[in-house]
Order: sequence, then structure tokens, then C-alpha cells
Amino acid sequence: MKKTFTINISGTVFHIEEDAYEVLQKYLIKLKNHFGPGEEGKEILADIEARIAEIFIENSTGSQKVVSIEMVNSAIEIMGSPEDFEQEESNEGATETETEETKRQRRLYRDPDHRVIGGVCGGLGAYFNMDPVILRIIFVALLFITGGAAFLAYIILWIAVPKAKNTAQRLEMRGQEATVKNIEKSIKEEVGEMKENFKKMKDSETYAKGKRGIDAAGDVAYSGIKVLLRIAVIVIGVLLIISGFLGLLGFISSMVVGHSFVQGWPMIWSPEVQVPGFLNHFVNPGTVTFGLIAVGILAGIPLLAMLFIGTKLVFRYKTNNTAIGLTMVGVWLIALFSLIVVSVSQLGNYKSRSSVTESKIISCDLCQTLVLNLGEDKYADYAKMDFEIENLKVAVVDGEEVLLGHVNLDIEKSGNEDFAILIKKASRGRDRENAKEVSESIIYRFEQKDSTLFFDPYFILGKGEKYRGQEVSITIKVPEGKAVYLNEDLVKIIHEIDNVSNTWDGDMVGKTWVMKPEGLTLKEE
Amino acid sequence: MNNKSEKIPKMKIENAKAQMRKGVLEYCILLVLDGKPLYASDIISGLKEAKMIVVEGTLYPLLTRLKNTGFLTYRWEESTQGPPRKYYELTDSGRKFLGELEESWGELVEAVAKVRLKKA
Repeated sequence: MKKTFTINISGTVFHIEEDAYEVLQKYLIKLKNHFGPGEEGKEILADIEARIAEIFIENSTGSQKVVSIEMVNSAIEIMGSPEDFEQEESNEGATETETEETKRQRRLYRDPDHRVIGGVCGGLGAYFNMDPVILRIIFVALLFITGGAAFLAYIILWIAVPKAKNTAQRLEMRGQEATVKNIEKSIKEEVGEMKENFKKMKDSETYAKGKRGIDAAGDVAYSGIKVLLRIAVIVIGVLLIISGFLGLLGFISSMVVGHSFVQGWPMIWSPEVQVPGFLNHFVNPGTVTFGLIAVGILAGIPLLAMLFIGTKLVFRYKTNNTAIGLTMVGVWLIALFSLIVVSVSQLGNYKSRSSVTESKIISCDLCQTLVLNLGEDKYADYAKMDFEIENLKVAVVDGEEVLLGHVNLDIEKSGNEDFAILIKKASRGRDRENAKEVSESIIYRFEQKDSTLFFDPYFILGKGEKYRGQEVSITIKVPEGKAVYLNEDLVKIIHEIDNVSNTWDGDMVGKTWVMKPEGLTLKEE
Repeated sequence: MNNKSEKIPKMKIENAKAQMRKGVLEYCILLVLDGKPLYASDIISGLKEAKMIVVEGTLYPLLTRLKNTGFLTYRWEESTQGPPRKYYELTDSGRKFLGELEESWGELVEAVAKVRLKKA
């Protein structure tokens, strides 16, 4: 039993056995290489294909046009190999094909005949003259190393790289000499051309100065620019591929995995923040997912475009640029629009502001001086990230994330004879009611030991609460004639306490201050 | 004599033959086409019988080149079996060219004959 393909040669449909197909394809590639890619070469090839079709029809028995390997071999014998023609062709013809040969270049296609999924590895294999199996193994390895980014790259190539549909494309896919060598060769040739032009210019200067020399100088400049351009195009293409791929890699990993693989790479953007976790402190998880998809598209499409343009510059494959470009721009705009809508709706959560105030009388009739001290920083060792947005801090305690905010301490004159502490918790919310609820959920603690007060440096957001611009301000009410001592540590939470001498916060600590009718005054020792 | 000719490498004989054929192949193609339009297979069978060509692939580049120079033109004709066929025919300039080739071929044959006669 033999597998057969259905092929169309010059308008006639044949069933061809697999081995016969391989031989025929190789033969046609050889011919195509021999005759070159020009109009003439294409015409000759079309004529030869027509003749091969005729030979197949003559040799096939019955109504079934099944082509066997014997039939292909006998057809090739009748038509002859390129080596046979070379002997019989005129010398002019030989040089003609030679110059054409240097212009031929390989293009990247997906190989529909050697495919497992989309034919990308098969096509790359043809392009690099490698066994696709090796590429597939590399791809699977990359899949594990990059955690899925390689899969995305595969999808991009699947979409972007066209399938080799007809014979001509299949020929372009493999036939010609390979890549780096080829590029090097063509660059060398152009350098040679440039040298020749330069020589021509020098010669012409000795013979006739003036116009001819200028023309030749133009030629030299032109070839020089051409060489530079080609090198530049390849360099730019490779850079685009590398940065696009690494950018995507870093981007995806920060979106999904939570840390960037590519932190060490200097040239690319490598966020160290786990974006989803980070955003969860601000908005609901559902919105986060939706917003992240939008952000992913917003940032991902330019990176994809980089990758796409880069591979196009290097591999020169043909695509429907308008369609791909318009799709990319369209999807990008939709993502932008959705993100704006989501952001605006999220902003609604910050619309109203409200606060609750608790006050506590300090029952310390005897004490003349109240010592204000900073409580122990329980979260110093837990601080997860070194970032602050509007005094927000994240710590992980026993596997749970705790959101912390800095408090603010002020000192004012009391209206009565008692020390008092006012703790004002404020927040924003959808409406005043919501803002008040959020405010009430804020947890803040301070401790009293005799005449000493210990203030926690942070307040904690209620469990499951999102950041809504919460604030806690502490006001110490000091009755006239009594004093407070500000401990050195307190500098962290005090902020511009009014006093008669206009002393800076930093200079106020470590001293005792007396409340006098005119205001807080430094106690004279 | 015989011993000597045996020592000539086969490649060289083939090469010389090919060189000779090459020179007159265009002339022969035009000759075959003189008078009536033919399609590639007819031209080939004519030339193959006369052992002017060994492999058919040689013919197509020549036909295309002659056509591009303007000596030949072609038209498509439907065929009862298989795809439509390309029928080649001589153009006016092709006929003129053929006339010139015929003249120089005559001169060549004469020249060779003379050289042979002188030697004999």
C-alpha cells in the first residue's frame, strides 16, 4: 500500500505516490534553481511542467491517473537533468543563469507536507536546511524553559507565516542556498560591486574629469548605501526579534507567573512587580482579570508587531500586511477603549469621602507630662515590596497579605482639663455610606502604659478591603499647663506640629513641650 | 588511428559533439517550424528522430529565448487530450533569420567539404 497525493500539474490533476512525489518535487526544484526566478525561468518551467503532464498522460493506463515512481523517473530521463542542458546550452545562457542565481533568495513558508501542528517547524527546517525534528525538540524544550512564551511565538508564526500552497512557493521554501552564508555572499558581492564602481570612478577621473566622475561617484555612493541598508535591515530585524521576544517573555511572566525571567537583561523592560497581585489591592479580582487582558493586549500588540516586523525583515516572508496591520490596530484600540471604560468605572469607587472619629480621654489625672512613643514596628520584617503609593504598604503575615498605611500625628490644645486622643479614620468610596463603612473597617491600635503612649506606626486596612485612599490621623489634645514629651522615634509619624517657636518636626523630638495659652512651647529645663 | 581514438576520453567526444549540436540546434528548430506551426512535442519528436537533441529539457529554454528575441511567436490551442498546447510559429524576422542561417550553413558545409577535399 502506498500513500498518494493529489497534485495539479499544468491544469491536469494526478494522483501521485508519495515516493514519486518526493522525487518529482526535488527535480522541479533543481530545474527552478537552474533556470532562475525571472520571467523567462518561470515560463520555461511552466513549459516543462506541461510536457511532464503530457508524458504522464501518455504513460498512464486506464482512466486513473496514478503516477508511480517509475513514471517520474522515465519522465526525468526524457526531460534530462540541468547538468545535461548545461552541456548543450550556449555559453551566454550559462552566464545568464549564473547572475540570476546570486539574486535568488529563500523565503520562509509553513510546510504543509511536513507538519505536526501548523507546519511552522517544518517550514523553519526547510529554511535553515535542518531536520524539522530537531527544531521540534528545541521548541518543546523552549516551551518548558520559557513557560509558554514559546507557544505564543509559535502561534504568531502560525498566523503570520503563509503556507506554501503552490509549487513555486514550495520551491521558494527550500530550493536555495541557506541563510547566513547567503546573506554574507550577497553582501560580499555588493561590496565587490562597490569596489568596482570606485575603481571605475578613479579611472574615469584620469580620462575625463567632470560629469562622468560625478555619475560614477553617485554609483559608488549608491552601492555603498545599498550594502549598509541591507546590513542595517538585518541587524534591525534581529534586534526587533530579540527585544520583541524578550519583552513578551518578561511581560507574560510578570502578568502570569509573578516574576520576570529576564530581570538580568539590561535592554528590556522587566517589571519586578507581580501585576495581578498588586492590582488586587485596588480593584476586585474580576475587574483585575478583565483589565489585565486589556493591558496585555495594549502592551502585547506593539511587542507582537516588533516580533512580526523583525521576522519579516530577516526571513522575508510574504503576508497580507494591510489585514494584519488593521487587525492589530483594531484590537489595540478596542483594548484601549475597554481599559478607559474600566478605569472610569473604577474611579467611581473613589468619588465620595467620609470619616469616623473616635476619641478617648486619657485617664491620668496625676500626670503632668504625657510621654508619646512609637510602638514596635511589627511589620518591619514582613514588608513584601518596597513600593509606596499614597502611603500604602503591603506585608505578608502568615501567608496573608496585609495592607498598611502610615499614620499622621498632630498635637492640639485641649478644650478641657483632660488629655484626649482623637483618631480620625477617613476613606473614599462609591458614596458617603460606602466611604464611612470602609473608614470604620480600618484598624488602628495604640497602647497606654501609665503615662506613656505607644502608637503603632501603621494602620491596617480591614480584611478584604481595597485601597480607597484610607487615612488615619491622630490628634493629641493637651490641656493648658500640661506637657508632652516626644520620643525620638516619633519623628516617623509627626507632621508639622504647630508650636510657638516654629520648630521643625525633626527638632521637636527628644524634648518636652508645654501647652501654653499661646500654643505649644518648648519646656525650659 | 583506431588505438588513438580509443584513448580520447569519452567526455571529450561528448563535449565536442554537444558543441557542434549546440551551434546548429537553433537553426534546426527554426527549420522544423518553417511552414507550419507546431507544438513542443512535435518539434521534439522531429529533432529526436534526427538525434539533434538527447534530452527534451534542452529545447524549452531555447524556444523561450527564440520567442523572446522575436523570432518565434506562439498561440494556445485546445487539445482533446490533456491541457491546452502552445503552438509555436515563425515570425517574419524569424523567417529572415532562418534565411541567413541557411545561407551560412550552406557556406559552412561547403567550407568543410573543401577542406576535406584538399586533404584527400
